[in-house]
Amino acid sequence: MNRKLLALPHYGSLALLLALTLFPFYMLIVSSVKYTQQAIHNFWGISFPLHFDNYSVAFKQIGPFIGNTVLISSGIVVGVILISSLAAYSFVRFNYPGKQLFFVLILSLMMIPGYLILIPQFLLVQKLDMLNTYQGQIFPPMAFGAAMATFLMKTFFEGIPKSLIEAADMEGAGERQIFMKIIIPLSLPIIATVAIINFLAGWNNYIWPLVATNGDAVKPVILALSTITGNMDQGVGVKLAGYIISSIPLLLLFVVATKPFISGVTSGAVKG
Amino acid sequence: MTNTAGFLRKHWKGYAFLIPIFIVLGTFKYIPFFNAVKMSFYDWNGANVKEFIGLDNFVRLFHDDTFYASLKNIGIFTVSGMLIQLTVPLIAAVLVFHVKNMKLQNMLKVWFVIPLVIPSIVIYLTWQWIFAGEYGVLNQFLEAIGLDSWTHAWLGESKTAIWSIIFVNFPWIGGITFLLYLAGLMSISSELFEVAKLDGMNAWQRFLRLELPLVRSQVKLVMVLTIIQQIQSFENILVLTNGGPGDTTISPALYLYTKGFSYSEMGYASAIGLVLFIILLLLTLINNKFVKNTDKID
Repeated sequence: MNRKLLALPHYGSLALLLALTLFPFYMLIVSSVKYTQQAIHNFWGISFPLHFDNYSVAFKQIGPFIGNTVLISSGIVVGVILISSLAAYSFVRFNYPGKQLFFVLILSLMMIPGYLILIPQFLLVQKLDMLNTYQGQIFPPMAFGAAMATFLMKTFFEGIPKSLIEAADMEGAGERQIFMKIIIPLSLPIIATVAIINFLAGWNNYIWPLVATNGDAVKPVILALSTITGNMDQGVGVKLAGYIISSIPLLLLFVVATKPFISGVTSGAVKG
Repeated sequence: MTNTAGFLRKHWKGYAFLIPIFIVLGTFKYIPFFNAVKMSFYDWNGANVKEFIGLDNFVRLFHDDTFYASLKNIGIFTVSGMLIQLTVPLIAAVLVFHVKNMKLQNMLKVWFVIPLVIPSIVIYLTWQWIFAGEYGVLNQFLEAIGLDSWTHAWLGESKTAIWSIIFVNFPWIGGITFLLYLAGLMSISSELFEVAKLDGMNAWQRFLRLELPLVRSQVKLVMVLTIIQQIQSFENILVLTNGGPGDTTISPALYLYTKGFSYSEMGYASAIGLVLFIILLLLTLINNKFVKNTDKID
């Protein structure tokens, strides 16, 4: 009896909190398929006909920029994994003077906030003639992701049994073989986590491309969102449809890789 | 020189694997960092005018009303952010944790973190629409329930703008905090809950005596993360109000951005960044000394 009495407020408050959390997204979705007149007459509910043409209009305006973002984010991911896994391998596999110092040098970079070096980074990229290029949007964010990634990978590599590596060493495997055939295949979970952290960061980057690009050639989709427009009839629906389109790739990533996604965002948060 | 040669022959592999990362970090982080520090002592427009002026930027900064306004604003953001992160996400995590049906529990967890999956700019733009004066969701709601007189141009009026920014993502569950709390709760031994049940504790007593004390390391971590994050508030403000109206919602990071890129006062902007960095560094040192030891998350 007592249990049933408790269950009602428990599930009731959960339902309320969940409804409030999801409400903005409900509004986003139902309003994205309305024309202006429909929004005026029926603001809260679903209104027929559903104007999916809002989506095609929005996609025409932001479609090309999604390709840019995919390219840039993937570039960041590949770069971060490459340089960080090599560094982590060095820290775990070898002993040499200054090892600890190098590790601290990399880690301490996590302390430097992005805005502090925003201006000198802009001037540098300008000097390197990388404004308005893909590489100009890949390398600086890559440097941001690398410290955290090195830390995560080093921790993970340390958990791989030393005996495996030593056995391979005895059999005459070179460093390249040990790295490619033993370390990397055993480290796929952490590589997935690092990949997701950096893909998300790449997708979400706003300030840096705002500073480092102008014009349309290499613009990422996030920057294109503020310029989506519909005509008088379509109203705000086109804009909202664009917001949804730009979110779909991350939602898909979340659905296919929920676990590394969640461990990625939580470990990414703790870097502060 | 055989010594050097021998040293290198022995250790070259270890160093070689570090070369790529240090090329990238050296170019894109160390050099900009030292330039930022250096520039804060210069009067510099980013191009031709460049003059060493010692501490003048810092002296000017400490007489700059906008800078103080920005500090006050991040004070408000930080305090309200801490209050928010300490309450709603924790309550939600406890509620989800006590759902007995594992399938339902997992489903709730996934649905609650949806806002985390949406690009942050999309979240800000969505809330910009919610707060819009004309045909904004919030105003439409107020009109629908007969509170027409309560409607505002939420982001455009100096009295409501800062609170509107804080209100973004209401009810503030869909974030990392919720996941951290939930992970903390899951690591509590189930025997303790058995004992609590035998003792006849009600939900509130159980929360106060069992759950709250046992997630305190998560609570500390969340406090630290919230402070660091709020002090650096930037994108949300840039998108929602651009610091306005007036200086009512400006943050130091946004002020730096405006000074640097709209007014080309690159030296002065760097000084703002450096002061903010030192504040953060001090907070981190305090945290490492007094808090970090007990941190644990998984």
